[in-house]
Amino acid sequence: MNKNTTEIIKLKLAKRYAKEKRFKLYGISAIAVSIAFLLSLLINISVTGLPAFQQTYINIEVDIDSKLLKLDSQYSEQELFRANYSKVVKQSLKAMFPGVKGRKQKRALRQLVSKSAIYQLRDFVIDNPSVIDTKQSLWFLARDDVDVFMKGGIDRSLPESDRRLKDFQLVWVDKLLSENRLEKRFNVSFFTEDDSREPEQAGIKGAMIGSLLTMLVTMLLSFPIGVSTAIYLEEFAPKNNKWVDLIEININNLAAVPSIVFGLLGLAVFIGLFGVPRSVPLIGGLVLTLMTLPTIIITSRAALKAVPPSIREAALALGASRVQTTFHHVVPAAMPGILTGTIIGMAQALGETAPLLMIGMVAFIADVPQGITDPSTVLPVQIYLWSDSPERAFTERTSAAIMVLLGFLIVMNFLAVIMRKKFEKKW
Amino acid sequence: METQQHISQQYNKELESVKSKVLNMGGMVESQVKNAVSALIEQNDELAKKVAESDYKINKIEIEIDENCAQLIAKRQPAAGDLRLIIAIIKVITDLERIGDEAEKIGRHVQKLVSTKDDTGMHAELANLGEKVIAILHDALDALARMDIEQAAKVVETDKQIDEEFNRVSRVLVTHMMEDPRNIKNMLHVTWCARALERIGDHSQNICEYVIYLVKGQDVRHTEFNLDQQ
Amino acid sequence: MIDIEKREEFDIEIDKTVGKPFIDDAKFSTRNVDVFYDDKQAIFDANIDIGKNQIIAMIGPSGCGKSTFLRCLNRMNDTIQGCHISGDIKLDNEDIYHKHQDPVLLRARVGMVFQKPNPFPKSIYDNVAYGAKLHGLASNKIELDELVEKSLIRAGLFKEVKDSLHKPGTGLSGGQQQRLCIARTIAIDPEVILMDEPTSALDPIATAVIEELMIDLSKKYTIAIVTHSMQQAARVSQRTAYFHMGHLVEVNDTNTVFTNPEHQLTENYITGRFG
Repeated sequence: MNKNTTEIIKLKLAKRYAKEKRFKLYGISAIAVSIAFLLSLLINISVTGLPAFQQTYINIEVDIDSKLLKLDSQYSEQELFRANYSKVVKQSLKAMFPGVKGRKQKRALRQLVSKSAIYQLRDFVIDNPSVIDTKQSLWFLARDDVDVFMKGGIDRSLPESDRRLKDFQLVWVDKLLSENRLEKRFNVSFFTEDDSREPEQAGIKGAMIGSLLTMLVTMLLSFPIGVSTAIYLEEFAPKNNKWVDLIEININNLAAVPSIVFGLLGLAVFIGLFGVPRSVPLIGGLVLTLMTLPTIIITSRAALKAVPPSIREAALALGASRVQTTFHHVVPAAMPGILTGTIIGMAQALGETAPLLMIGMVAFIADVPQGITDPSTVLPVQIYLWSDSPERAFTERTSAAIMVLLGFLIVMNFLAVIMRKKFEKKW
Repeated sequence: METQQHISQQYNKELESVKSKVLNMGGMVESQVKNAVSALIEQNDELAKKVAESDYKINKIEIEIDENCAQLIAKRQPAAGDLRLIIAIIKVITDLERIGDEAEKIGRHVQKLVSTKDDTGMHAELANLGEKVIAILHDALDALARMDIEQAAKVVETDKQIDEEFNRVSRVLVTHMMEDPRNIKNMLHVTWCARALERIGDHSQNICEYVIYLVKGQDVRHTEFNLDQQ
Repeated sequence: MIDIEKREEFDIEIDKTVGKPFIDDAKFSTRNVDVFYDDKQAIFDANIDIGKNQIIAMIGPSGCGKSTFLRCLNRMNDTIQGCHISGDIKLDNEDIYHKHQDPVLLRARVGMVFQKPNPFPKSIYDNVAYGAKLHGLASNKIELDELVEKSLIRAGLFKEVKDSLHKPGTGLSGGQQQRLCIARTIAIDPEVILMDEPTSALDPIATAVIEELMIDLSKKYTIAIVTHSMQQAARVSQRTAYFHMGHLVEVNDTNTVFTNPEHQLTENYITGRFG
C-alpha cells in the first residue's frame, strides 16, 4: 500500500474508533435506562403487591350457644342454615372485650372481623353439628382496616381523625396482638375467591377463569382463521392482483388500529346485530379474535415466506400438487414461526382491556363463570376495576393481580421462545 | 492469427507468445533451408558447416514451444479453435524440426561433397528443386502466419510438382551413376540431398494440412482435399 | 477486460439453430417454443429434439435462457407468475402443455434435480419414500423399504447411509445431499431427469461422483442437464445445445461442439471469448 494512503487512514482511524465507542455508549445507556424503568416498575409493583399474598386472621373464642343461634333441640337442616350466626360472633367478641360501650364502639368491635366470618362459622357448624353448645377457638378473616394496619399501612403517630383505625380500636388490636390472636397467613383466598366489595374477601379466581375462557374462544377462532388466511395469501393467492393487494394493505392497517375500535365494532356488530349476550367470554373472545387476527396473519406469513422456495420446488418436482406441497412441507416448516406468532398474539390479547370495556366485561361479577356464555370479567379488567376502588386494601390487590398477569405473560412468551428453539429447522 | 480477444488477457498473451515463437522458429528453419540450398549449389563448405552446426537452436526452440503448449493445455483447457490451434502448433513444430534436420543433413552431405572435390557438377541439377522447395516452404509458412487456407491448399497442390522434379533428378542421377560407377559415392550424397529437399517439401505440405485443420476443423491428411467441399 | 459495449462488435445474427437439432429417436421434441416473462421474451423459437437414453447438455452464458428452457420441460415454470409459453413441447409425441395434460402426472414422469441440494428437513428414508408415498407406488412397508434401498443404491448413496436412514437428510454433506435428491427423484421411476446445474455447489470430487452417476443413469433414463461448466458438458453429454440471449444457437454432438463448433458464438463462448 502506498505510504501516503496508510498515513491518511491512520489519521482518521482514531476518529473512527471514537465514533464506534460513542455509538456503543449510546446503545448501552439506552438499554440501561430502559432496564432501570423496567426494574423500578417491577419493584414498585412487587413492593405494593407482595403483601396481598398474605392476609391477617383473628382468633376468636366462639361460644356456639344454641340459644343465641335460636335453635331448638330438634332442628332441620334449613333451620341450621338460617340460624343467627351473626349474633354468636357479636356475643363472642363482646365476651373478649367486656368494657365496650356505646353503639359506635359496638359496631366498630363487630367490624374487627370480616363479614365472611358469619359464613365461615355457618359452614363450620353445618359440617360439624356436634360443636353446638361448645366453645371453639376459631380463626376468622380480619377486616381490611386491621389487615392494612398489620401490614404497616396505618401510622399510629397520625392524629386520630386522619386514621382509619381510631384509638379505641388500636387498643383492641394491641390486646389481640399481646394474646397472639392476630396472625398473618398465606392468602389462599386471593386465588380461590371471586371478586367482592370487601377487599379482604376479594380474589382473582373469577377473573382468571374468565380470562381463560376468553382466551380459549380467541384461540379457537383466531388460530385457524389467521393461519388459513396467511397460507392462502402466501401460497395460493395470485400475485400482483389488485384485490389481493387491497386485502394485504387492509390487514396491515388493521394491525395498527387502536384496540378500542375493535371493541366498538364488537358492540355494534356482535351485540347489536347478532345479539350475542354482553359481558360474556364469547363476545370477549370474538372481539379479541378481531384484534389478534392481523398479528397472527402477519407473523404466519413471515414464517411461510421464510421457508426456502427450494423446498416447494423439490416437492413440486416430485409430482406433489400445490396443496400437498403446502401442507406436507411448507406449513410444517413454518409451524414454529406460526406458533410463536400465535402465542405472542394471544399474550397481547390476554393483556387487553380497552375493547372489553366497550362490550360490558367491566361489570362487577361475583360468580365464577361456568361457560362461555356466563357473565364474567378478565384479569386486566379486574385490575382496572380494583385500581378504581377507594378501599386502601385494594391497592395491594391491584398490584398482586398485575403480578399474576405479568406472570402469565412471561410464561407465554417463554413458551414461544421454547417452541421456536425446539422446532427450529436448519436448512 | 485470431481477431477476437479472450476475456482472460493472460490467456491471450500466452497464446500470442506461443504463436510468435512458432513463426520465429519458422523463420529460423526457412533461413537454414535457404543456406543449405545455397551451400549445395555453390559448394560452399563454410556455409554448409554453419548450417550443420546451427540445428541445435531449432531443436531448443521446439522443446520450449512443446512445453508452453503442455502448460497451456493444463492451465486453460482450451476448446474448439484454441484447442485446434494448440494441436496444430504441436504438429507444425514437429514438421519444422524435421525440416531443420533435413537442412542439417544437406549441410553434412555438402561438406562431404566439397571434401571429395567432386567435379561432376551434378549438384547443379538440384538448383531447380532447391528453388521450388524454398518457395513451397515460404508459402507454407506464409499460409500459417496468415491462416490462409487458399494458399495452404495451393501449397498442397504444388508438392506434386516437387515430387515430379525429384523423380526427374533421380533419373538423371541414376543415369549418371550407371555411366560412371566411380562417381557413385558422390552421386549418393547428391541423391540424399535431393531426397532431403523432397522431404522438406512433404513437411511443408503437412504444415499446410495443419493450417487447414486449424481453420476449418477438418482433417485433410490422406484425403483428396478440395476447398469447395464443406 | 472486454466491456459490454465491445461485445456488440461480435453480435452475430442468429437466424436459425445450426448443427443437428433434430434426431430420429426423440424423447422430447420442442418446436417454435417462445417463453415470455410478462412482456420480456426469454426464449426465442427453440427447436430441439432430446434423444432417448441420452444426456444432453445445455450451456450458455448466465441469463441465456437455458434454465428457463429446462423448466419448460416439466412445467415448473407454471408456478412463476407472468410466465407463458407458446409452441409445442412433446414428450413421446404428447403435447405436455395440452389442456388435458396434468402437470402433476407430467412431473412424475419428468423428474428434476436442482442447483442447490434441497432435501426435505426429514429423515433420509422419508426423503426417498416421499414421492413413492405420494403416488402410491408401494403397497406396504416392505415394498417401500425395498424401493428406498434400491433408489439409494442406484444413486450410489446406500453404502454411506445404510446405518443412518432415519437421521435427517439435511445432515449429509453437499455431495451426499445431491445424491439423496437424485435418489428421491429416481424413486418414482421417471422417464426423464432434468438437472439444473446439479454440481455447481459441490467440490470437484463430489462432482466427479455425480457425473459418474449421471452416465450410469443415462442407460435407463433420458437426462437433460444445464451446466455452467463446459468441461462437465464435454465430459458427460452426448449432445450439447448452446443458448445465447434466449436463442438456441447451436445443437451438435458434444465432440463437434468442443473441437469444431459451427457457429461463431458457440466458438466464442467455449473458448472463453465472452460469457
